[in-house]
Amino acid sequence: MELIDRENHQKLYLQLFSIIRKKIESGEWPVGSQIPTEEELCHMFSVSRATVRNAVLDLVRQGYLKRQQGKGTFICRRMLSEGLVMTASIREVLFDEKLNISTNVLAKTVMMPIDELDVMLDIQPDKHIIYVKRLRLIDNEPVLLQETYIPYHICPLLLEEDVEHQSLLDICEKKFGIKITSVKSCIDVAVLNHNEGGLLKQAEGSCAILLMQYFYSGETLILYTRSVKNQNRFQLIMEHERKII
Amino acid sequence: MSNGKAAKDVMIGIFEYPHVPYWFTISQAIRIVKVSFISTKKYPDPMAILVFDEKYNLMGTLTLKDILRGLEPRFLKPSAKAQVAEENESALSLIWDTLFDKGSKEFAERPVSEIMTPAKYFVEPTDPLTKAAYLMLHHDLILLPVLENKKKFVGLVRMIEVFDEISNGILKE
Repeated sequence: MELIDRENHQKLYLQLFSIIRKKIESGEWPVGSQIPTEEELCHMFSVSRATVRNAVLDLVRQGYLKRQQGKGTFICRRMLSEGLVMTASIREVLFDEKLNISTNVLAKTVMMPIDELDVMLDIQPDKHIIYVKRLRLIDNEPVLLQETYIPYHICPLLLEEDVEHQSLLDICEKKFGIKITSVKSCIDVAVLNHNEGGLLKQAEGSCAILLMQYFYSGETLILYTRSVKNQNRFQLIMEHERKII
Repeated sequence: MSNGKAAKDVMIGIFEYPHVPYWFTISQAIRIVKVSFISTKKYPDPMAILVFDEKYNLMGTLTLKDILRGLEPRFLKPSAKAQVAEENESALSLIWDTLFDKGSKEFAERPVSEIMTPAKYFVEPTDPLTKAAYLMLHHDLILLPVLENKKKFVGLVRMIEVFDEISNGILKE
């Protein structure tokens, strides 16, 4: 079994990421199977829990693994379109601009990172984060519930900004000069909990589209947004243009 | 006695303490205590978490004592009694251990807003330290919020700084 090389200058979590990815790509760990627990991986590769969490999270972000609350982490079939380099307009979420869109700000507060948000945002677990929760409505019908997490030190003055009428990306870029250079979007299916179902006027336990977006400025993750869209007549739009190299 | 000092002269920053919204569960607060204080071996005095509402207004504070009290089985909590001699009830606490798995784990899923100490008293930054001392003594507070214009939460006054400043006045020749 390939092990971590401690003489290698590459970060441990990146080494572990490559080892696990090879196991998945070679079929040694088949699609649909459950990977060992965090504790077992720590033991197998003699690394810390933080190293395992970072490696696993990157594999989740890149679509190799999928976490299921209370069940474990599973290998999933990656569905990536290859061969085309595209550019996309970076937006939080795009609806047809002709629609009558409004926003209810449900929360704009500060919290500590829980449920692995520290790993997702690449910050220490004792660092504060800004939490913004907004409900997007079209013609007063709830369509999208968005929760955004931003490390507090990146944008402390964000708390004083109007997030009802302004896009968070616009605030970051235009007011604080933080240029967003890339975005990674992951699409999945969410099962609505009691609170989400109530806000989106759907039954608890019903399925919804889950869009997770990671916004970067260079190598730094600036914000992470989790959007849940209910089943209705509106569609999310993503526009891409082929990049000329 | 406090050398004319005001709350703003001794207050500490609010980011010295972890923040949580009121809907976090006790179990999430316990994890935050472990990550912010115990594993980092940072033991601020007092050890507390600040609880906020969805608009980032301070709602209360949560100490280790509040958390343990929130996990305590109901039968151990003092109840209203007739005027009779007090019994030694500490022996009952031995039963807590056996019930811990059931009762306390359930209690740990309640929101922190149910067990926090509500923030009812505060001072303005320019208020004299004696006012802070008075409020802390008479309302048994370990932390006193400093609010600017009764709204913006800008700092915290702790007992240690209040004690230090007031005792300086006593000891001065």
